[in-house]
Amino acid sequence: MLKVSLAGVRAHRLRLMLTGLAIMLGVGFIAGTFVLTDTMQAGIDKKFAGSASKVDVAVLPKKGKVDVLPEEGPGGDRVPADLLTKIRALPGVTAVHGLVRGEAPLIGKDGKVYGDSPTRGLSVTDGPLQRYDIVAGKAPVAPDEAVLDERTAKRNGFKVGAVIRVLDAKGAEHRFTLTGLADFGVDSEVGFYGGVGFTPATAVRMTGERDPVEIDVLGGDQAALRDAVAAVAGARYDVLTSRALGDRLADAAGADTKIIRTGLLIFGVVSMLVSALVIYNTFAILIAQRMREMALLRCVGATRRQVFGGVLLESAVVGLAGSLAGLALGVVLAAGLLALVGGMNAEIPTDRLTLTPTAVAVGLTVGIVVTVLSALLPARAATRIAPVAALRSELEPGGGRFRLGWPRRILTVLFGVLGVGLALLGSLSMDKGETAMFVVAAGGALLFLAVIALMPALVRPLGGAAGALPARLTGVPGRLAVANARRTPRRTATTTIALTIGVGLMSLFAVVAASGQATVVANLEEQFPVDFQLHTQFSSAQTDPELPPALAAGLRARSELTGVVEMRRQEARVGGDEVEVGTATPAAFGRLLKPPVRSGSLADLKTGTVAVNETIAKHQGLAVGDTLRIGTGRGQVPLKVVAVFGGETSLSSYVVPESDFTRYFGAKGPWTIYVNVRPGTDPERALRAVEQVAQPYPTVKATSATAVKEQFTSAFDTMLMIFGGLLGLAVIIALFGIANTLSLSVVERTRESALLRALGITRGQLRLMLSVEAVIMAIIGALTGVVLGVAFGWAATESMADSSVFALPYGQIVGLMALAGLAGLLAAVLPARRAARTSVVESLSHG
Amino acid sequence: MTSTFTPVPPGSGAGAPPAPPAVVATEVAKVYGSGDAAVHALRGVSVSFAKGAFTAIMGPSGSGKSTLMHCLAGLDTVTSGRVTLGEVEITGLGDRRLTLLRRERVGFVFQAFNLVPTLTAEQNILLPLELAGKKPDRDWFDQVVEVVGLRDRLSHRPAELSGGQQQRVACARALVSRPEVIFADEPTGNLDSRSGAEVLGFLRSSVREMGRTIVMVTHDPVAASYADRVVFLRDGRIVSELARPTPDAVLDQLKALGG
Repeated sequence: MLKVSLAGVRAHRLRLMLTGLAIMLGVGFIAGTFVLTDTMQAGIDKKFAGSASKVDVAVLPKKGKVDVLPEEGPGGDRVPADLLTKIRALPGVTAVHGLVRGEAPLIGKDGKVYGDSPTRGLSVTDGPLQRYDIVAGKAPVAPDEAVLDERTAKRNGFKVGAVIRVLDAKGAEHRFTLTGLADFGVDSEVGFYGGVGFTPATAVRMTGERDPVEIDVLGGDQAALRDAVAAVAGARYDVLTSRALGDRLADAAGADTKIIRTGLLIFGVVSMLVSALVIYNTFAILIAQRMREMALLRCVGATRRQVFGGVLLESAVVGLAGSLAGLALGVVLAAGLLALVGGMNAEIPTDRLTLTPTAVAVGLTVGIVVTVLSALLPARAATRIAPVAALRSELEPGGGRFRLGWPRRILTVLFGVLGVGLALLGSLSMDKGETAMFVVAAGGALLFLAVIALMPALVRPLGGAAGALPARLTGVPGRLAVANARRTPRRTATTTIALTIGVGLMSLFAVVAASGQATVVANLEEQFPVDFQLHTQFSSAQTDPELPPALAAGLRARSELTGVVEMRRQEARVGGDEVEVGTATPAAFGRLLKPPVRSGSLADLKTGTVAVNETIAKHQGLAVGDTLRIGTGRGQVPLKVVAVFGGETSLSSYVVPESDFTRYFGAKGPWTIYVNVRPGTDPERALRAVEQVAQPYPTVKATSATAVKEQFTSAFDTMLMIFGGLLGLAVIIALFGIANTLSLSVVERTRESALLRALGITRGQLRLMLSVEAVIMAIIGALTGVVLGVAFGWAATESMADSSVFALPYGQIVGLMALAGLAGLLAAVLPARRAARTSVVESLSHG
Repeated sequence: MTSTFTPVPPGSGAGAPPAPPAVVATEVAKVYGSGDAAVHALRGVSVSFAKGAFTAIMGPSGSGKSTLMHCLAGLDTVTSGRVTLGEVEITGLGDRRLTLLRRERVGFVFQAFNLVPTLTAEQNILLPLELAGKKPDRDWFDQVVEVVGLRDRLSHRPAELSGGQQQRVACARALVSRPEVIFADEPTGNLDSRSGAEVLGFLRSSVREMGRTIVMVTHDPVAASYADRVVFLRDGRIVSELARPTPDAVLDQLKALGG
């Protein structure tokens, strides 16, 4: 039987090759993911091991104890500074360095602080414990010297020797000479926010962080040193040797690699699912075409089991070949991607591709198992062929109509009703949030199963609809194509479902992204009908950053601007809870700030009153007319609730009148200011006016609403492009499926094509016929996918949040359909060429 | 189109002077392969088929009768010699011209797989006309359908028709476009004798009553006896011919050929 199977693979190698390609792409994607993430991880490990090797022993806060209450000592993520002195005094210790890390906002060339969050200030020594690589210049030694993170320097255009300005913890400006550029390693904080390195003493002074995040120690035998340091440090801190430190750092950074891997593997699974459909279909068709061959085997004495085993063996051979090719493809893909990423971002060290045994094992196993599993049903069908079938004359292929059997009907109704029910439940009646989204996702999966069960019955009507236009345009070839697409409904259904998966997910993401964008824009317009917003950087500092008090007056004095609204807020205590009390310029209520008011009225917000957010009101059992007591600088003050408001708003949970706020908490700068362009003023001029007013204050940043919208739009577009690219693979595999089905049909219809050629169909018309058939299949698949994707995109959007706005990205949906049609044309090229080339006379005599 | 054809009285194929030929083959040779592996399927065949006549081509297996028909019908190219269909010399025509020529001037009835399985009987009958973009002559269509007795089967697909009915649909298709020649390749090869007789009778009456020209390849002496004239082929050459054949005469002739 082995020989027969291998001969089978050889004889059908062209047809099986397309199947192998489908497996190859799926396995390639999975293997590529492994190679990519393993290589990245290897680079990270190496880098950290290198960095940690400079240290004999390191003291860090205990792992997992980051959220220790501040009362217990220095912040839970820090090591007390006095421990530094104690360790320095230990016998044998030759060098000690307390690693300082805190906020030290760098002022960029534009005179404003760099980034949306402050850059990080770090301590850099020039001694043997210098952990960072100085890539240019030298480490700082004097209090007025500093190094910059390489990328931060590049983005700001600072070169070695330049004078940079940095704000200290109190906001005072300091000048430093840039002595060098540093690579702060794969420090994720520096990666995000940028970094400035100072001498240790200067770092403490600038960041205001007395306690280091880590103490590095040098001093002879590591184990002995570790015990000695541990004795001083006590149980609250981890004392690690250099090797353990390297592992721990790499672990922390490795979490990102794992997320990337998981994310990519999800798309790999989608691709394999599509591959499975393609493989199943190919084997089912091959078995049908080789009915005679199978029956002959049975005639000469092959048992059912042997026939079954033979088909499975054939699939295993194909699976192995495809998987091996897939592994090779994966390595190439990963290498290409790494080269691409490496060109843009030198942060990830990648000297050598890593192909781990796990990657090989997973790739081969998944490829072979998926192939063999997909061939199971066709193999079973092969055992059902009676030996006598070998003697019967060949049946006309196709022509049978598909009847929806009872099992399928029951499954369709069951899954369909459940799926739609869950989707409606999640999107309309449940509380918005994660649970509702999961319910919608489950509904989507069920409905998709229902569609799979129903698809063969949908092929006729959908094929007729999709083929109406081509049939009209191309006449006889078009009409024949429609009939051909509909003649084997199961085959067409499986072929198109493979495409439905990719296109469906693509349109789902397109709808969710477009809706997310529309939601953001709608919320922005509703809650901030402003042209400009002035704010400081987002800081993790204890005290809320404030805008200079004079800023608002400066803005109000400009004739280009109008509607200047100051927003203030303050932490305060209500009952036992720490809450946020806020206020806004009185004129803004009802105009700029108009949250949906559930009860009472914001107009009643007079001295001694408060407006409360509905979530808080519900939680605290507060209603209009109630009185609550709030802790202020002047003691407990009773406040009468005059309004309950809802919606997503920038207002604090408790809102008091502006004059009251100042009375309760003293004079305080706003945390943000909203400004509008005076009607009739050129927005460019208004922007310049805002910038001029803000010029003296380096921490004040102005953002225009259009810029924010553009930022969101481009963020959504990027997300969509990444998802689209990853799902593109599933679509490509589905196209192989179409090409495969079509070429098998061409083989099957050799006689028929010859007859048509004899009766006067030209080669071009024959090619056209097959192209139209492919396009019809592609459109059926894409249409089903788009309908499902849009429906569940809507359901997902509705289930996310109350404020979600549904948007249909018409352009993208139409584009997706057009692309699917075009891809169908592409898939038909080879089968059509083959069909047109076949000799009429030969086909007539041998068919 | 009808005007170009004059009905020929029954039985005129034999002694009477032949009508102008519909198809003429001159020194046609066909070689497959080359060198030692070359197979000479036809070795200089010259034959002409009269308009309004029913001619059978006979011969043992491998005699080249199917090849001759393929060359005459423009399905296959000749290695040397000339084939003229009506006034058109088809040797040397490109694939596209040949296809259009077949579509408009030639009808086919094959042994099996005659019909497109996805089309109904009516759609199959009208296929060549539709390919040519011509409007079917509804009266003529009705007449043909009536003669072949398919009136109540028009909306059926081939799978729902018996073998004899399928062949009658194929005959109707060959007639409805009023081609200059109808080529039939073992049209009764897969039929039982009663259905076969029906189809043959129908082919003969389409020659006698509608003035069609038919060239039929067969190895069945009974089928050949429906023709006006039988041409015998052996080893790629025409070896003899018989006018007004009877089954017995055909059988004798075949025996004489050693087939």
